[in-house]
Amino acid sequence: MEDFKFLFKVVLVGNAGVGKTCLVRRFTQGLFPPGQGATIGVDFMIKTVEVDNEKVKLQIWDTAGQERFRSITQSYYRSAHALILVYDISCQPTFDCLPDWLREIEEYASSKVLRILVGNKIDREDREIPTFVGEDFAARHNMYFLETSAKEAENVEKLFMKIAEDLMQQARNKDLSRYECSTTNITARTSSVNDSSCCSKLT
Amino acid sequence: MTDLEEMQKELDKIKLQEEQLFEEMKHFVNQRSYVDAKIKVLSKVLPTLKSLKVETQDLVNTIHNIAESAEGISNKVRTLDCARNRVDECQQRVADLIDVGLCSEGVQTAILNEDYEKGAGHVHRFLSMDQSLLKQSATDIENVSSVLKAVGTLQDAAGQLRTIVQHKFDEAVRLEDLASVERFFKIFPLLDMHDEGIRKFCNYLCDKLRDTADKNLQTALNAPVTDKRHHVKFADTLTLLFEGLARIVDIHQPLVETYYGPGRLMSVVSFLQKECDTQVKLIIMEFQKHRQLQKKINQISEVAKMSSSSSFSKLDKLDPKELDILIQEITIMHFRMELYIKFIRRKVLADIEISVLISEERNNQILQLDKLINASDLSRRKHDLLSLYLQLEQYFMEESVSKAVGIDSTETAQQTSSMVDDTFFIIRKCIRRAISSGSLDGICAVINIACAVLENDFCGILRGRLKQGYPSGYLDLTQAYNVLQTSIQHGRLQPSDTEQIRTAFLIALNNADASTEYVETLCDSALGDVKKAIPNMNTNEHGKLESCLSGLSSVIINLKDVMEYGMQQLRVSVIKPRISPWVDSFLNINHQLNDDELSEYEAGESFVQTLIMNLDSLLSSFKDSLTSANYDGLIKILIGEVTARFEKVIFKSAFNRLGGLVLDKEVRSLSGYLTSATTWSVRDKFTRLSQIATILNLEKVTEITDYWGNHDGALTWRLTPTEVRTIMGLRIDFKQEDIQRLKL
Ligand SMILES: Nc1nc2c(ncn2[C@@H]2O[C@H](COP(=O)(O)OP(=O)(O)OP(=O)(O)O)[C@@H](O)[C@H]2O)c(=O)[nH]1
Ligand SMILES: [Mg+2]
Repeated sequence: MEDFKFLFKVVLVGNAGVGKTCLVRRFTQGLFPPGQGATIGVDFMIKTVEVDNEKVKLQIWDTAGQERFRSITQSYYRSAHALILVYDISCQPTFDCLPDWLREIEEYASSKVLRILVGNKIDREDREIPTFVGEDFAARHNMYFLETSAKEAENVEKLFMKIAEDLMQQARNKDLSRYECSTTNITARTSSVNDSSCCSKLT
Repeated sequence: MTDLEEMQKELDKIKLQEEQLFEEMKHFVNQRSYVDAKIKVLSKVLPTLKSLKVETQDLVNTIHNIAESAEGISNKVRTLDCARNRVDECQQRVADLIDVGLCSEGVQTAILNEDYEKGAGHVHRFLSMDQSLLKQSATDIENVSSVLKAVGTLQDAAGQLRTIVQHKFDEAVRLEDLASVERFFKIFPLLDMHDEGIRKFCNYLCDKLRDTADKNLQTALNAPVTDKRHHVKFADTLTLLFEGLARIVDIHQPLVETYYGPGRLMSVVSFLQKECDTQVKLIIMEFQKHRQLQKKINQISEVAKMSSSSSFSKLDKLDPKELDILIQEITIMHFRMELYIKFIRRKVLADIEISVLISEERNNQILQLDKLINASDLSRRKHDLLSLYLQLEQYFMEESVSKAVGIDSTETAQQTSSMVDDTFFIIRKCIRRAISSGSLDGICAVINIACAVLENDFCGILRGRLKQGYPSGYLDLTQAYNVLQTSIQHGRLQPSDTEQIRTAFLIALNNADASTEYVETLCDSALGDVKKAIPNMNTNEHGKLESCLSGLSSVIINLKDVMEYGMQQLRVSVIKPRISPWVDSFLNINHQLNDDELSEYEAGESFVQTLIMNLDSLLSSFKDSLTSANYDGLIKILIGEVTARFEKVIFKSAFNRLGGLVLDKEVRSLSGYLTSATTWSVRDKFTRLSQIATILNLEKVTEITDYWGNHDGALTWRLTPTEVRTIMGLRIDFKQEDIQRLKL
């Protein structure tokens, strides 16, 4: 039980153009892509990080914000361990849509999913959403809150590391209770997630 | 050196030195003759060397001279080259001037003779000349006016020809004179009208395309319901459109490449794409109207709202069967779009490959191509169609599975019921259909949906059935009777229903087991099918697919949970209540036997024989009705219960030597029986019990050291030292102080 790897699925959602793809690319590849086109369907990236000397594999699903891809992207909510809901601090409409996104999350995601609200593009001069407004919204909906800039690499690393640490903590607690109460230890052929088990182990 | 002896020693030393010196001298003398010989040879060579030096100096001088003259020659060659280039240029200019004259003379005649190819040829020759140079040459020579005049004529002719060719082209289009259309299409590039030519020609092609597409759509709309392709007629129409487009590209690409040069396909395609978008839009609009898509989508979202507010009224629910054909048509349409886009991309890429040599520019053009494709209405409609497909497919899957569960039935002597086969048939069908759409995102989404249906709906149903419990019949008779009574009073249950509930329970358990295999097969076959359908997946796409598939295969964990849940039910309601009295009868038996009692006990039916008989009849009542994995699970639980209970009663008994002997034998035969009852090894489960029996079967207390300790004969103990002492204490003939004295 000591040296298992954790695998977590992180799904990014939010309006088109708020910078989801840029955040992911900044984190996984350390760059800010010029002329980033709109995402089609879902993109998939993996990055392994280390938390407390444990390897943690983050499987990052970058969904398209455009409405027409909704039926594709919705199908990924259910197995997500963490959902990052992104808006653009310089674009009021992307903030106004947050309740709609929350409704989607309620409907499709697991109730235990870790939810994070991210206000992106803080490098921009033309801010429309003050920090406290985002903070307040997050607090009211039981979410973590962070402001980032994919362009200036601000808080991006912190965002994903925080998620990895939290999920790891959750998984450890879960694992303890699971091993205490159940007598049989079922090992799956392939690891993955479902509602009842928050993390999967790759032994 | 007073001492003689010392003097003698000194003398010896000196003698030795003398000898050595002598040796060395001899050596030198020997060498002398060799050195002499060498000197002789060298003195002979000396004069030669002198002459060599002189000659070398000569050679150096010569080389120097040659180098100088070479330098001179190459200078001259350079000058010569330069001169020749000038002559060439001059000739070119002369040729140009002559051609200008000839062309200007020829061009008018050609135009008059309506020989536009020839006329355009002259203009092309003229246009290929360096215009500024031409003017300069004209001023250099005496006959300025005639050259300028010729240039003027040619410029006029070019303008004239441009107008004529455009006009003639338009006329040919109007008259549907295909030969003339092609004729003038080929002339445009001669007049430096590449873009114009392509634009006009593409417009012409688009017109033709529109006519055919119109006709095709009308035919489709007028097709009677009885037509055997009525159910896919819109997909067929779309297919015809794309085939037409592909044919146009295939036929005209060589023409364009020959007369306009490579690198023009992108602009051809972007013209065609506009018409393609228009036609696709028309077809899809008719499709949506005639297949009543909006209504269906509304009905579906109605149902979704109903079930989420959990008020189950039977409103006008859409039969999934009705959607089946429609969904198929949508996947065909989507696949065709995907195929066409891939075709266009491949064609244009090949054209870019041969026409653009600088890799940076090439990447730029590829980017532009992708932008063109992604921004096209066709792409947008393709995405919309996929979204529509997913909504319908999800509904189809959920409703079909719920129907399959609703009409669940079991054939006699079957271990599983129809819902398993049916459910996995449906899911496999949906996944295959997704694969046939050609979209990886679509495939992944359907796999995700399947995963949700299996985990939430399907496993939920199985778990629900197991929750009903397994009515245990004999032992909890009173309790079962009470349940039955109240149920009968409420008109819910007929007496024979107990049997039915039992069967239903076991079948649910078997269904879960059978489903694990189905899931595994489903994942494997899906992976293979996708690889075949989309052969060139990159690692990222591969990862995406595998991740979704691993989500699907994790349904197995859920199924195993369900099975475990059922097994625990069986343990509590069947195994435990029956095993306890059987094993407890051990307490009624005398374990302190003398020889006579021993033979008497062995002659009769022993405890273990009765126990095995009971276990056997219990197991055989399940053997045929459980799958082998479930049966093994049952035995595992049974063994756990038997051994635990057995341990308990042993600790409550007291043994003498023969009593211990009998116990050891009985434990062996019990373990033997249960080992033979199952395919996997159960020895492990018996280790503690066997070790207890071994201890109770010892001759004397100290014999334990044969088994305990750090030597070859020692056992790997599952008992603690305290337990060992307690067990030894069960032997009435073992003295407590002997036991305490043991070092364990
Ligand atoms: N100034 C600034 N611009 C950003 C930042 N992040 C993203 N952008 C820009 O915002 C635009 C959209 O970024 P994307 O990452 O493609 O947005 P997205 O959320 O992935 O959009 P969809 O894929 O359509 O859902 C791009 O032009 C980026 O350059 C940021 O932190 N600062
Ligand atoms: Mg994106």
